[in-house]
Amino acid sequence: MVSKTEEEQVNRLENQVENGGGGAWEYLCLVRKLKLRRADKVLKYGFSVLNDPSKRSALGPEEWTLYEQVAIAAMDCQRLDLAKEFIKVLQRKFPESKRVGRLEAMLLEAKGLWAEAEKAHSSLLEDNQFDQVIHKRRVAMAKAQGNLAVAIEWLNKYLEIFMADHDAWRELAEIYVSLQMYKQAAFCYEELILSQPTVPLYHLAYADVLYTLGGLENLHASKKYYAATIDLTGGKNIRALFGICLCTAAIGQLTKGRNKEDKESLELQSLSALALEKAYKQRSPAKLSLLSSTLRSLKVSL
Amino acid sequence: MGVGFIVGVVGVLILSHAAYSTIQYRSLLKITGEEFSGPPINVLVELIAGPVLCLWAALTVPGKFLSILPHSDENRVVTLPANLDFMIFNHRGKAFPLELDLKVY
Repeated sequence: MVSKTEEEQVNRLENQVENGGGGAWEYLCLVRKLKLRRADKVLKYGFSVLNDPSKRSALGPEEWTLYEQVAIAAMDCQRLDLAKEFIKVLQRKFPESKRVGRLEAMLLEAKGLWAEAEKAHSSLLEDNQFDQVIHKRRVAMAKAQGNLAVAIEWLNKYLEIFMADHDAWRELAEIYVSLQMYKQAAFCYEELILSQPTVPLYHLAYADVLYTLGGLENLHASKKYYAATIDLTGGKNIRALFGICLCTAAIGQLTKGRNKEDKESLELQSLSALALEKAYKQRSPAKLSLLSSTLRSLKVSL
Repeated sequence: MGVGFIVGVVGVLILSHAAYSTIQYRSLLKITGEEFSGPPINVLVELIAGPVLCLWAALTVPGKFLSILPHSDENRVVTLPANLDFMIFNHRGKAFPLELDLKVY
């Protein structure tokens, strides 16, 4: 999870490094810690650190972690020549290492040599059957080949063994959403909310899925989860505020005429509309007219 | 950091002085042959002042307290990390190669 202060810190460091203010190593450490995917910058600055012998030796044993990080970034940028060089250096240092073996298999993947990559993965799995990273790489490989059904199958098998891996649950949920299998995606998000109830973004994603599924019951549940997101984010999440408005409008359409308990939900809707208006006024006053016409079309009274 | 640390050291010194003067007071009582009824007033004052200083230093020296994420207004979870374990490489980066002039060594 990336919190707001950490995000600000990353952006500040990135600016500083870009303007030649130094701090490249701190930036790279932070990117690694927060698991951000900024391959181009990692490649550029990591490379400049690695290419400078004095800077490189100042890192001590951390040098090899940086090699790994930059190699992966190079693959992500399709600079396979560089990735190969870095992996060669690591190979020379750690000849028998599984971790380097994983990197080599990843390089095969990046080259698109699926059969060879699969062979490398299975030989690594023979040594250690419970290597989570390799199981995940196999899923990613199936996904990269556009074979989503196989990816789902692998992921389900993986999750039977490693049920507490919330990254895998999230990946499965996202694959299901991309295939429009919303019921299954909802199940995955339920698991995620159970395992990490304080992350508002899971509540938000679950509410989105429920809203997409439609139906009165789902819409009511979806509204509750949007409300939970607002609660957890302190009303800072624009998407959740819009979600409340949309849900209330959709519920109103479904229960036309038969309005029970409507007063409370209308109040919730107008409150979130007010919060939206306030946020738009503060951040982008130019789009305020757009917002009010949208809200009018949803029949929200301010 | 500097001031807090010095205050903490002073607090510990006051506490050890209190211990030392209590021992001295008891040996004095032994010499004069009186009964021990309670510590003298300066030891009591030191026993109050020392822990207060130590407490203050312990709260300030280690640095700022971090906020608990879900309930703080200024520091909340804003994004989830990229799911790097499942990263795939056939994305648009292939079509737009990086314009970087990098050479190894």
